[in-house]
Order: sequence, then C-alpha cells, then structure tokens
Amino acid sequence: MTDQAHLERGYRRLLAWYPRAFRDEHGPEILAVLLACAPDGQRRPGLAESADLIRSGLWMRLRPSVPRSARTVRAAVQLICAGAAASAASLIIVLAVIVDIRVRHAVLGHRLIAAQVSQVTTSVIVQVLVSCLVPVAVWLWMARANGRGRNWARILFTVLFGLTTLTLAGVVPPPVINIASSVVASNSIVPPSVITISVGPMVSMPSIPGLGPVIPVLTGLVVPALTWLAGAAAVGLLWLPASSAFFRSQGSLQARRRAQRAELERIRSSRARWPRQV
Amino acid sequence: MRAMQEATFLILTSLASGAQHGYGIITDVQDISGGRVRLRPGTLYTALDRLRADELIVPDREEVVDGRLRRYYRLTPAGTKLLAAEAARLQAHAAAALRRLDLAGGTAT
Repeated sequence: MTDQAHLERGYRRLLAWYPRAFRDEHGPEILAVLLACAPDGQRRPGLAESADLIRSGLWMRLRPSVPRSARTVRAAVQLICAGAAASAASLIIVLAVIVDIRVRHAVLGHRLIAAQVSQVTTSVIVQVLVSCLVPVAVWLWMARANGRGRNWARILFTVLFGLTTLTLAGVVPPPVINIASSVVASNSIVPPSVITISVGPMVSMPSIPGLGPVIPVLTGLVVPALTWLAGAAAVGLLWLPASSAFFRSQGSLQARRRAQRAELERIRSSRARWPRQV
Repeated sequence: MRAMQEATFLILTSLASGAQHGYGIITDVQDISGGRVRLRPGTLYTALDRLRADELIVPDREEVVDGRLRRYYRLTPAGTKLLAAEAARLQAHAAAALRRLDLAGGTAT
C-alpha cells in the first residue's frame, strides 16, 4: 500500500467519530483537506491531528445543533439543561448527606455493626443514584432531542412536565423509595435516618428527616421549585410560533435527508448488481 | 453582541474577498495571522458547520481536483454584515488602546 493510501485509511477511521449525517455530507471534503495538509511521506495521522478529529467528532455528536436564528428554541434548550443541572444538584446533595450520616454514626459512637454500615452505604448509594439519575437522564435526553427539532420530543417534554406538575401538586402520588429503613428497624439506638425519595419523571424529591432545616428545604422545596420553573419556561418557549417554525423546518429537513439516503442506497444496490447482468 | 472568537473572525475574513474551499481557508488564515493561527481540519469544519447553521456562510460550488472533492464556501449578506461590525468593533478598541498609550507617553508607533 502506498503511503497516501495508508494515511487515507487512518483518516477514514478517525472520521468514524463524526455523526453519520455529517460524514455523508462532508467526509470526502474533510478527507481532501486532511490529505492536502499532510506533508509528503506521512504514513499515519499525527497525535494532535487525531485528537482534534476525535474531539470535533464527539462534539458534533453531543451538542444540540440549534442555529442562532432559532432563538426561542435555543433558550428552551438552555433551560432544559438548567433543569438537568438542578436534578444533578439534588443528587449531589443527597450523596453528601449519606456520607454525612455515616460520619455522624461514627462520631456519635452508635453501635452500628460493620455489616449495617456497609448496608447503608452501598445499597443506599445505588438506590439513590438510580432514582436521582433517571430525572437527570430524562432532562438531558429532552435537551438533545428538542435541540434537534424533533417534534415528538416537544410533545413528550410537555407531557412529562404535566405529569411532574401533577406529582408536585400532590394530585398524582409519586412512587416513593424508602431507604435505610431496615437499619432503623433492626437497631433502635440509631436515630431515624430514613431517606425517602419521591420520584417524579423529572424531579426527585429526597426528604431526609432529622438533619436540620436546611437540607430538607433544599432538596424538598428549593431544587424542585427551581426545576419546575425551568421546565415551565421551557414548555412556554417550545410552543411559541417561532419555535414551531423551527420544528417544522427541521422535520422537513429530516424527511429530505431520509429520502436522499434511500436514493443513495438504491443507486448503490443497483450498481452492485450491474456486473452480473453483463 | 458577544465578541467573536478569533478563529471565527479569521475564517470569515478569509471568505470576505470571495469563495474559498477548506484547504484554501486554512492557508489563508495562516497568512492573515502571520503564521500564528494554524487551523486544524477538525476545528475548521466544526466552525464551518456552526457558521452554516447560523446562516453566516453558505456552500458556493463544488469542484473535483485530482479525484478529490473541494467544496467552496462564501459569506451570506448576514455574514458580511456581522464581520463588518466585528471588524469595526476591534478597530475602535485598538484605536482607543493606541491613543491612550500615546497619551501616556508609550511607544504606540
């Protein structure tokens, strides 16, 4: 294999980090630029070059691609990201509290046997992680899908937000996870360190009794309230006429891309058949 | 208006005198910046993609040279306007800096 062909193969491999739609449209063009930039005799992509391609490719995959012209949608996506940050904040607070509970038990000299301590930490942390990560994941997913102008995402976000509102208002009872109750039941010396997490689709409300007024208010009231406000503003923005225009244009763009891809596939398969017919 | 990133400014500048293809932009930006800014292809195409989404540039035409695809890009009217505004802003800032250095007896020449 010539140096050039070898190098080209290396670059093609790196371009796989880009999203497929981008690669289909710009792959040959970027490849030409990469090869033009390479000095004669180079056989494989350089380290800095590779890092640049991987970073750019990942960024293309992860960023929400809302054009500056779609102001209202950009703002909505930023608010949804703020919602994700708020849910992540409550997760961090709860994890900190769990660590704190463990420290307290140690300081107060509560006779937790080793098995109970590890039960508090591992099982609790896993449950808290799962129940608090769900809302964070939902928010991030919604930010991404709405940023790409998927109309179903706008509808789903609105529905989830409605459910969350009903949950917060107490109309729909949320599923509740009780944590560490087994420890309390089996050892009366331990103060009630039951953590209750009410899980809505987009807000998790951990309540931790017996830990002073600050943390329950933060996790049970302030963070959910901020999250709700971010969601409400985002829903409002997503249904403005300007946003609807963006969702419509993205929808027709996707339909066109799909048609193009199908056409390309058709051409490819007919070409593959050609030699046999001759 | 938020200040424009230097790479973005230089890319738009290289397109200001007419359509350019990717490799052309890279060498041009290097020239304009006196060899200081060397855009990497990944960075360039991330920037081009964003500029295109913001409707500041559009693809102009395609050519095939030595079996390789070249796509040319050019500024849109909005891109021209934004670049002009940013250049004026930078010029005003630079002029202010030089004026004050002069007043302070600095060497502004």
